[in-house]
Amino acid sequence: MTSQIILKNQDNKISKKLDQIVELSLLYDFYGALLKDHQREIYEDYILNDLSLSEIASVQDISRQGVYDIIKRCSKQLIDYEKKLQLIEKFNNTKDRINQINVLAKDIKEHGNLEDIDQIEKISYQILDEF
Amino acid sequence: MAVKIRLKRMGQKKAPFYRIIVADSRSPRDGKFIDQIGTYDPTVEPSAFNVDEEAAKKWLANGAQPTDTVNKLFKNAGIL
Repeated sequence: MTSQIILKNQDNKISKKLDQIVELSLLYDFYGALLKDHQREIYEDYILNDLSLSEIASVQDISRQGVYDIIKRCSKQLIDYEKKLQLIEKFNNTKDRINQINVLAKDIKEHGNLEDIDQIEKISYQILDEF
Repeated sequence: MAVKIRLKRMGQKKAPFYRIIVADSRSPRDGKFIDQIGTYDPTVEPSAFNVDEEAAKKWLANGAQPTDTVNKLFKNAGIL
């Protein structure tokens, strides 16, 4: 028996912690290659494999505090990259707009509503503007 | 045997998707897992969390330890 649970509003603590992990893993996708190998290994275990600080500490044979510091520092580094480069923001904006185009294209196909074409043109300029 | 319930990130780059897995805690890095009991997809709005409730309860009753994040997902879903 599998039950589907829709998580409630994003304002409670549970979602915040999850949001944070998802956010950090996105940062990792974009900028993870810029971390040093040793840092990346630890960061991957924490963010992608959901290992605890003490588990990572014993695998790496360093202190728990050491692991914590590395993760803190890596997160800060990745957030700084995003501040300067905004690749994720651009990626998300572009994705949103492409989805809009997709919906409009379907609408044209199904209902032949040609006014949508103007809208698509407008959105395509918005995408181009951002690059 | 100490067993843990964790999230495991799957999915392509830039499209996060998680499995909820049961794994031996002694070799956390080898990537092997004993059982998969659910999924968590944060890319849809609102986030979709699917879990095999019976399996989750069975593992918990047998002493499997959920990680903080999984614990929170379970609490939110009313399993704990």
